[in-house]
Amino acid sequence: MRHVWDSIVLALQALWVNKMRSILTLVGVVIGVMTIIAIVSLINGMNAYVADQISGMGASTFIVDRYGIVTSEEMWWEVFKRKPLRYEDMEAVADQCELCEEVGGRARTTRTVKRGNQFVDNVEVRGHTANYPDIINLDVERGHYLTEDDYRHRRNVCFIGYDIIDNLFPGVDPIGKEVKIDGRKYRVIGFGERQGSSFGRSEDNYIHIPLTTFEKQFGTRRSLRIYVKAPSFEQMEETKDEVRMILRARRGVKYHDDDNFGIMTAADFMRMWENFYGMAAMVMIGISSISLVVGGIVIMNIMLVSVTERTREVGIRKAVGARRQNIMFQFLAEAVILSLLGGGMGVAGGFLLGYIGTSMFGLPTGVALWSVFLGLGVSSVVGVFFGVYPAMKAARLDPIEALRYE
Amino acid sequence: MLKKETIVLIKTENLWKSYEMGAETVHALQGVNVMVEKGEYLAIMGPSGSGKSTLMNLIGCLDSPSKGIYELNGRRVSEMNDNELARIRNKEIGFVFQTFNLLPRASALHNVELPLIYNGADSSMRTEKARRALEMVDLGDRTNHRPNELSGGQRQRVAIARALVNNPSLILADEPTGNLDSKTGKEIMALFGRLHQAGNTIITVTHEHDVALYANRILHIRDGQIEKEEFVEH
Repeated sequence: MRHVWDSIVLALQALWVNKMRSILTLVGVVIGVMTIIAIVSLINGMNAYVADQISGMGASTFIVDRYGIVTSEEMWWEVFKRKPLRYEDMEAVADQCELCEEVGGRARTTRTVKRGNQFVDNVEVRGHTANYPDIINLDVERGHYLTEDDYRHRRNVCFIGYDIIDNLFPGVDPIGKEVKIDGRKYRVIGFGERQGSSFGRSEDNYIHIPLTTFEKQFGTRRSLRIYVKAPSFEQMEETKDEVRMILRARRGVKYHDDDNFGIMTAADFMRMWENFYGMAAMVMIGISSISLVVGGIVIMNIMLVSVTERTREVGIRKAVGARRQNIMFQFLAEAVILSLLGGGMGVAGGFLLGYIGTSMFGLPTGVALWSVFLGLGVSSVVGVFFGVYPAMKAARLDPIEALRYE
Repeated sequence: MLKKETIVLIKTENLWKSYEMGAETVHALQGVNVMVEKGEYLAIMGPSGSGKSTLMNLIGCLDSPSKGIYELNGRRVSEMNDNELARIRNKEIGFVFQTFNLLPRASALHNVELPLIYNGADSSMRTEKARRALEMVDLGDRTNHRPNELSGGQRQRVAIARALVNNPSLILADEPTGNLDSKTGKEIMALFGRLHQAGNTIITVTHEHDVALYANRILHIRDGQIEKEEFVEH
């Protein structure tokens, strides 16, 4: 144990003597570990984000829209030729589907919302059926959501997100007040809880109005998204099939043709996320292993230089009784400490990168404590792997020749 | 003169050392027999290429003989492996080199501590012993100086303190005055004299007769063999 401690002190002294060289040596390892930490933080943050998004959807809910999940370029071109999903399609599903517990619809656009001379840009304006909260989880903070009456009578009422309150109703209770979308007045009947932002986009910049009112104001050419709630998770496939049959018939899809719409479940979203996740992990492994190998080679190189420079020192140490393993351990400790320093800097750099990503670009990131150990572990493995050869070279030096070395 | 009871420290029998130099085999030592008693002060003298350095390396356990037997303190060193030799060097032998061979970036104290590090001594004891060794060579006030802050004579005294620190059976000095001016050289030789008086066994290797004359006995080496033995009366 004492030998270990002495070796560590010796190594730190040797590294301190060549500060600049030591720091430059570390660049590769720093980048490698930084990549690991940054991407793990990103995946971690996205995991939380995706879980949060999907949890609102529930296991027995699915979504039908014109596009579905696009997985190839060919499909990308094909989906744009599809007919939009109409209000009537939604109605047909609601009327004919026997298994469906709830059927809702949504149209969306982006508009500027005004109150007096105050305004909020790029607001997500959504037309919804009143049963939306029964299908997708929605946390109402105050007031209430759109009602069946609002929907049937195409009332000009709205349910708003916190960005609208922050910008148009600072310090004022918005309920009962009016906002304007494209010159038309809407009375606020409720607002949702603050969601925060992800990917640099606020989750609170929305305004929900009845779908009927939406089509009156913005027209009917937009394709709808249809929300369906199956009676249970077990009956989801049956329910999906029923909805498919109804829509295929209505949209004139021939027997052998594929659907000209897409059905997505929480599991599909999860799968999509997992694909992305896998890709991110591949990028991480790619970048970090390249930089770690380069970093390791640089460390090996600098350790070889160090061994040559200190040949005489090795000779002296051997003359006074250092054994092979003493010398071996001394140089190995130096290599490991060197790369651990790099690992430490990489961990710090990775977290800093994550922090910048979150604060400047709104990327969801989350610090995973285990990634610190991963980073430090990987860097010490690099140190050992690439330090063994130079250390062995030092340990094998012949004391007589080493003492004679100029 | 009273004949004291003697203990044999070094005994070599028919010691050979040969090197392969390309196609040729060079015999640096050709059957050397040396006997050194505990407490002796011996000089090994010879011109360059005589084999005296080879003999010193063998006696100092830095190298193993090609043939023959070497016993140090009754232990057969000639059959030991690398690690055992390192242990012997650490415990039994204190080296003093012509070029001092101190670690340039370490303090005098750390340099003297070095053999103790490989001895497994704990650090407080190490410092204490090293300090005492430096005091013994009159450098008690230079413990924190680095070699480049010390004169040549002081450096050699640090090296001597390092050689002494582990209480070795043998101090092996290789041209200890070779890099010193004559006045400092004399001081260093006087220090060896004092150490001998104190009971240490000393072997110096030199090509200078003046330096060899400090010893009680001189072995003259030529062409890898002992040419003659000379006794010095003080």
